[in-house]
Amino acid sequence: MATVESRTEYWERAKEQGFDLSWLSQLQEHVAGEGVEERSANDTGRVQGSIPRGNVARFGAYTFRTKSEVWAYNLTKLYEEFITRQWSSATDIPWDTIQPLSDDIEASQCQLATFFTQVEFVASDVPGRFISTMSPDYQEVRLALLAQVMDESRHLDVFRKRALANGGGLMRMIDSVSDVVGGSTDNAREFTEFSSRLHITGEGNVLTLFRLGEMMAYNEAEKAIYRRCAQDEARHVAIGVLHLRYMNEFAPERREEIHCYLDEGESRQATGAGGENPAGQSQLTSQALAVLLGGGKDKMDEGQNILRAIRQRQTKEYFQRLKSAGFDDRIHNGRVNPALLEQYKAAA
Amino acid sequence: MALDEEQKPADSTEEGDQSQESETAPAVSSEPLAWMNDTLQWGVRVQPGRKGLTMRDLNVGIYGEVPESSSDMSRRPRGAFPVSGIPRTDLYALSARVDLWADNAVDLYEEAIQRRWMGHLEIGWDEITPQPYEFELAMRQFCTELAQQASIETDVIGQWLHKMNYAYHEVKTFLASEIFDTGRHYTTFRNRALHNEGSLGLESAGQFNRRMMETRPGWTEVGMFLYLVRGPLTLLLYRYGEAYARNRADKFLFRKCIEDKARHMAYGMAHVKYAVDNQPPGFGQGLGNLMRGVERDLVQDLRDPVLWEALAIIIGGSVANIAQGMAVVDDLKRQYIEDYLKRMQWAGVNKTEANLSPDLAAFLRREETAPTGD
Repeated sequence: MATVESRTEYWERAKEQGFDLSWLSQLQEHVAGEGVEERSANDTGRVQGSIPRGNVARFGAYTFRTKSEVWAYNLTKLYEEFITRQWSSATDIPWDTIQPLSDDIEASQCQLATFFTQVEFVASDVPGRFISTMSPDYQEVRLALLAQVMDESRHLDVFRKRALANGGGLMRMIDSVSDVVGGSTDNAREFTEFSSRLHITGEGNVLTLFRLGEMMAYNEAEKAIYRRCAQDEARHVAIGVLHLRYMNEFAPERREEIHCYLDEGESRQATGAGGENPAGQSQLTSQALAVLLGGGKDKMDEGQNILRAIRQRQTKEYFQRLKSAGFDDRIHNGRVNPALLEQYKAAA
Repeated sequence: MALDEEQKPADSTEEGDQSQESETAPAVSSEPLAWMNDTLQWGVRVQPGRKGLTMRDLNVGIYGEVPESSSDMSRRPRGAFPVSGIPRTDLYALSARVDLWADNAVDLYEEAIQRRWMGHLEIGWDEITPQPYEFELAMRQFCTELAQQASIETDVIGQWLHKMNYAYHEVKTFLASEIFDTGRHYTTFRNRALHNEGSLGLESAGQFNRRMMETRPGWTEVGMFLYLVRGPLTLLLYRYGEAYARNRADKFLFRKCIEDKARHMAYGMAHVKYAVDNQPPGFGQGLGNLMRGVERDLVQDLRDPVLWEALAIIIGGSVANIAQGMAVVDDLKRQYIEDYLKRMQWAGVNKTEANLSPDLAAFLRREETAPTGD
């Protein structure tokens, strides 16, 4: 092993031969910093904790460069779960268990699959837009979002497969734009607005439905699809809950603003506007669900009763998320949407 | 209901502009259960094959008709029943097939999923024992550079992915898998740099990163930079990393990254070739012309000492042997330029040694040294 003295000697010799090695000296002195900067000065896409150079052009222009705008607890652990729990729609779903279904059931499955194919487009595009606008110093958030984009891509893929696997086809597209009051998930330009809308409300509702997938599945393949998608969706919802929890603690001055986003989300949840909740009222997917849950188009009344219970469950789980994130004061102070409160009380 | 026979309205399009479907969309009934009749093609029963039920298997009937262009801005899944009067949800700038398509994207997406790996679990991190001091420092620098290349790739794709129309979901899903890969590469290389109480090195020289991030005219141009210019370099760096790795864990890491990168480049090369073949004459010439300035950026990065000296130390084993290591690095650079030319020519871009930047051509004239990696 080289001694410091001999090292100095042959480093000098290397420099005399024309090698630079100044970077090596910088590296020797560099100690990785602890924690994440509150404000990111990174404009060059450098890796968080690496040594900046003075001669690199700034091309980052990242919109999000403040930790409290984007950060969430435990994202590293969540990202590892993203990596570990990837699955294949081609080989992990027992497609051979699908048997012909009656026309009304097949049409309902296909309508629901068409809905999920389309709505997963939103859940893929919108997080994707935020990745490259966020400083790489907050890489954990970026990683969680890009992993979500991967999951959503697999979801749109698996539901397209389901629609075309059993003698059916894709059905009517959905309208996710009309009747939206206030901001939409699509239009959100602010990360917390986007996250509260997509992760907390939109995906939260879908998660409840996926968790109850056994009730609307008619074979092992469909059960596997819903089960696996529920695992994925739970991670996406976790991004939002962990972010809101962080905001509650470190950006209390934004609580009122966040409550406004929740107002809008609840309004859509209660009315079905925006078309993101397949169990929402006045949705064609709620008819499809009623057929599936009841067991046929002639048993839709029974299906509607189950659907009402599902909506109550969605609200109950939403309230749990509010509590977990520290925004449950709205449940008790009269701010929460009255229709949701009614559902919650009915579910109790 | 009449769902037991195959349906396909006469006015649905066979080929060409998907927007025609929306413009001629039949009125939908608001009657309960009327949606049960709303399908463009019924009776589809795709079957899983040897590789399971793949996305390619789905491309049957109208569901496999990839339009030349689409003005559908409502995220209607390809082949889903259109509804007139639905407001647009977004403005997809990339709505022509020629701007993003590659025939192999659909298969590469499935391959990406089949070949997924987990850096935090599958790499034997405890096998990475402390190496001689200078080697460790150089390795940290090398891995910092590779982590940044991966992160920049995420950003580059992230800037374009949401602009791509869903008529081409095969490409979008493949690119989603690619940024998932680049996220894993970032994490793994950063963790490798920090392993054994390490730290990170200097940021990248950055000229070419900047070029990729700031390029605006189209995904094809960006794709050329990402897959035909940067890609071959990254792939070579992985290969040399693998060749000179001192333990199984590092070898595994680089080997898995090579697999991923080869897949990324397979899409990129196929897309650029598709674009050159299908854009008006002269497009390939234009891409070649574009490279004249870009090559100067490339030269700056190739001359910057940090990455290359680090790699030379890794290859030589210490600063004392840096000159021997640098001879191998010079080989790498020569191979890189040769590879770059071959790939550009394969894709139909007018790039030859004759019109190569003289400073880049200089790398071709260096003498070959036999690799010494084990």
